[in-house]
This record gives sequence, structure tokens and C-alpha cells, in this order.
Amino acid sequence: MGIIKKLPVYAEKIPGGGLVTTSLNSAFTLTQAKSLWYFLFGTACCAIELMATGASRYDFDRLGMIFRASPRQSDLLIVAGTITLKMAPVVKRLYEQMAEPRYVLAMGGCAIGGGPFYYDSYAVLKGIDKIIPVDVYVPGCPPRPEALLQGCLEVGKKIRTLKMDDWS
Amino acid sequence: MTKEELTEYIKDNFSGEPEVIENDQPEPYFIVKAEDVVAFSRFIHDDPKLQMTFMMSLSGVDTGERYEIVYNICSYRLKHRVFFKTILNHEKPEVDTVLDIWPAANWYEREVWELFGITIRNHPNLTRFLLPEDWDEGFPMCKGWVGKDVIPFPERK
Ligand code: SF4
Repeated sequence: MGIIKKLPVYAEKIPGGGLVTTSLNSAFTLTQAKSLWYFLFGTACCAIELMATGASRYDFDRLGMIFRASPRQSDLLIVAGTITLKMAPVVKRLYEQMAEPRYVLAMGGCAIGGGPFYYDSYAVLKGIDKIIPVDVYVPGCPPRPEALLQGCLEVGKKIRTLKMDDWS
Repeated sequence: MTKEELTEYIKDNFSGEPEVIENDQPEPYFIVKAEDVVAFSRFIHDDPKLQMTFMMSLSGVDTGERYEIVYNICSYRLKHRVFFKTILNHEKPEVDTVLDIWPAANWYEREVWELFGITIRNHPNLTRFLLPEDWDEGFPMCKGWVGKDVIPFPERK
């Protein structure tokens, strides 16, 4: 990201450079938002819905979303399922292994706040936002594929509003 | 063998004295003393008329006054099943492993050790695998256990 990040700073100094910067910014955010590769991370029943969304009927691919099996190749972490206390360090580590810019979508009640395991549970993390930053929450138990698709579009919208300087 | 035949056969041929629990299930149900567990398991596993070679499940129970370990065993070849349990006191819950009779008992026994705090004697690898590695809050499956992060279920009005 180094040179791309520096580019607007240099470009803005030359006359008419602002035009270049905004166009570049628009192009970069657009391409990013339209090809969100997501990391398959299903730990419980929500994963079934995630698979259904990825399969042909709802078809994630038409949004340019292709699943990757490695965090190093993905832009979006979809946490689909219950995160137990034992799993929590793993989630954190996988998030840290993702290349920047990276986004997180919390799918389902469990990932948002413990879901059905909120009360009387000794083993479940009460929401992944306790350990990693979350961009979009998709509530439901499990959310319908339409809801998940909308959530991913929201991630895209969020990316479109970013400036290139925001990409750290 | 039918349930009655099985019950009789085991009572007549096992040297210890298993207590029979009357139930209306299709399987006989025994209470075996904690020191007899291995001998009883060995007997039902090796006896040619029983051949209970498959462990379906092993579970711990805490009733509040005592611990129990319930063994569910079946024989694929002869198509019959038997359940038995052993009762342990709260002060010193200890039982011998049945790992060398049914290897499937390995993780079940670790689970019982981890979640109930029942010591399994002679188990080769009694280590944590369900709870986080740095867990230090005791045994969550015991009655009356309260962890520091557990949010109790609110009373229904
Ligand atoms: S939110 Fe509901 S469907 Fe999703 S993982 Fe939790 S329990 Fe399963």
C-alpha cells in the first residue's frame, strides 16, 4: 500500500492534482468494494446460511465475492457462528493475519452478542466486538441470505465512503 | 438375550454384587461399586455371551449430593445393550479408567475430569481440551457452580 498511499499526497501538490486524487480515490474504492473476497469462517449453524448464500441460489459471486480459505488472501472476515472462549484467541489471530485494508462482518446473534448463549453460559464469548473491531452487524438467528447479502453491500458502501488516506 | 435374561446372566456370573435398577427401558441398568468398575467392564467385554465391545457413551452427572458416572455399552455382534453407573461421593470422587477395555473412553473420561473434577486414576493423558487453556474457575458442570463472567438467566415474571 505504501506507494498508493503516498500518491495523493504528491498528486495534490501539482496544479489540478485534486482531480487526479479524487478520481483515483473513486477508482480504488470502487474496485475494492466490488471485489470483496471473504474469509470462510463458520463455527456454528450460521455457517450453513453462509454456505447457502455462497452457493448458486443466492450467488455471492455476482457481487464479486469469492471465498478464500486463507486469511492472507481475504479482505472481509465473515464471522458466522458461536465463538467460544477457546476459539476467541484464534479469531483474533486470524484477524491479525489478514492483509490491510480489512473488514469484519459479524453474522448472527452469537457473533454480535452471544445470542442464545448469552445467559448461563460459561463457554461463549459475548460478542466478537470484545476482541476485534466490527464494521457491519447482521442480526438474526440465523440471518436470511438476503440479510447477509445486504450486509455485504453495506460493507461495500462503507468502503466507498473512505478516503485513500484512511487506508492504513 | 432379552432384558430379563441379560440381567440374570450378569447377576449370576459377575463376582461382585451389582445392584439392579428397575426401569421400563429395553436395557438392564446396574449400579456398580466404584472399585468394581474395571472388573465389571472387563467381564461384560470379555464374556463370550455378552461381548460388549462398543462404548456408546460415558457421562458424568452431578445430582447435588453425589457424582455419578454413567456408562452406556452395547454389543454390535449380539445386538444388546447394557447401562451401568457408579456412584462417587463429593469428598473424594475417584474412579479407575476403563480406557484399556474400551479405547473410546479416552476423551469421555477427559471430559468428565475437566468439567466435573472427577479424578480418573491411571488415565495416561488427563489434560484440558474443552475449556480455554488458562481456565482457573473450577468445574462448570457441577451443581451450584457460578463463574465470574456468567450472566444468570433472569427470573420469569
Ligand atoms: S446466531 Fe443462531 S443460527 Fe447463528 S450460530 Fe448462533 S445459534 Fe446458530
